[in-house]
Amino acid sequence: MAKRAQNFKKLGDRVVLYADNYINDIEGEKLEEVCDGLLKNGIKRIVMDFSNTEMINTVGVSILIGIMEKVREKEGILLFSGLKKVNHEICNIVGLAKHVPIFRTEKEALEGFPA
Amino acid sequence: MTDIGFAKVSSPVLERLLFNLNALAELGEVIASPGDFRRVVKSCLYMVMGTFASSKGAIFRYDYEKNEIRVIVSKGLGNLSRFKVPFKQDAMKDIVGCNGPMDIRSPSLPRSVRAELVKIGARVVAPLTVKDEFLGLITINDKLTDEDFSAYDLRLFSVMAQHIAVSLHSHSLLNKLMHKYNENKVLYENLSSIYYDTVGAFATAIDAKDAYTKGHSHRVSAYCTALAKEMGLSADEVEGMRIAGLLHDIGKVAIDKTIINKPSPLTAVETEELFSHPVVGYEILSKIKFPWTGIQKMIRNHHEKVDGSGYPDRLIRKKIPFGARMMAIVDAFDAMTTDRPYRPRLSFEEVMREFRENLNSQFDPAILKPFLSAIRKEVSGEVERPSIVPFLNERLDIDSVDRLLEGFPA
Repeated sequence: MAKRAQNFKKLGDRVVLYADNYINDIEGEKLEEVCDGLLKNGIKRIVMDFSNTEMINTVGVSILIGIMEKVREKEGILLFSGLKKVNHEICNIVGLAKHVPIFRTEKEALEGFPA
Repeated sequence: MTDIGFAKVSSPVLERLLFNLNALAELGEVIASPGDFRRVVKSCLYMVMGTFASSKGAIFRYDYEKNEIRVIVSKGLGNLSRFKVPFKQDAMKDIVGCNGPMDIRSPSLPRSVRAELVKIGARVVAPLTVKDEFLGLITINDKLTDEDFSAYDLRLFSVMAQHIAVSLHSHSLLNKLMHKYNENKVLYENLSSIYYDTVGAFATAIDAKDAYTKGHSHRVSAYCTALAKEMGLSADEVEGMRIAGLLHDIGKVAIDKTIINKPSPLTAVETEELFSHPVVGYEILSKIKFPWTGIQKMIRNHHEKVDGSGYPDRLIRKKIPFGARMMAIVDAFDAMTTDRPYRPRLSFEEVMREFRENLNSQFDPAILKPFLSAIRKEVSGEVERPSIVPFLNERLDIDSVDRLLEGFPA
């Protein structure tokens, strides 16, 4: 059974990280810390789900880039899911969409990892 | 429908413009917020980095005493707490003269600074200045998109840097103000300490003239304080009463010691000299500007009696200053509860009898009542730090005190 602890859910070697609305505040740094902890524990397949994120602002973009860099350093895979249209556009504007594959739903993202 | 020109702008450009406008609005909001300074600066850095999609960045502060820049906050650069770069005054003038952001390769950037910033992957850097005062630097690395920084980007970076500079400047002013405030506070505390020590030393010197009244001024001061608190006076007024108590007998420094310590009845001349001490005290203290009003008059009139038979001005009832009427009670209380050259101390019961017999003639009942109430509270253990009862050479229990207080008018 999938385990959701605070803002992430572990599914075998994959983890879904829930951005919620923390991402728009400096407190969102904690998501980076959670991600750090997961990578240290050998998790390399991470989905960030934005279903509950109304709008990603510049602070959010900065945090997402930080997470992306950390996953890259560990040669992991980061996928995004559940982005609202406005947030999808922001990912396009700042170039995140070129570096991180974006899926419509969390389920699709989990299925989107290479075998 | 009015054409406002948006249709002429391609959608991605418009979206980018709105994203940037939103970033500026949020930056202004964060800077104006009253939060913790480091958190505000950190949010600012994240906003700038998010706007340009940079993965590394830092905000540095210029230290005028050490002529170096130090990191306030950074992101994506690991631990930079020990990162500091010497920054000479000339270099500072050069960079302030640039009046805007620059590429890391710009010749305007001092070589030593450039070398260090290149090490941390900086791509563009902007001085943080307010009215030609150099406050620090902000730097970010390449964009995630790998695009060059356009002239528009640099202009936006400059505007954001100006916002952040204002925040640093306000914080710097606040720090200077706090520094001055703390300096003045220490100075004030030192002066206060000297002041209180001097007043205390005076009180000891006054009491040293009289072998029998050792500690009298300190006790009167403590009793005045307890009474003032019981009467609900303000903290400032309580402090005034404490000081007045310490100095109430200052006029005795001018009285012959043999008169003060004489065990037999005084002659008329001696009595006149002894009775002059409130006026002498008043004259001594008239030269001093106290932060509390009425100290001098309290000292002058602390031997007045409510029926007008006291000295030196033979004032009656409300004509006697309020503080002087308070002091008359506590001064008499201490005189009665301590040994004198001409008689041994009175018991608490005898003191209560004296108070009762002289109510309305010597003592103001409106003030005696709260004084007795303060004593009762101390005896019953209601007061955390008693300041009257510990000086009495007699153990009092609440039942006997209540019995003795029964005879006083409610």
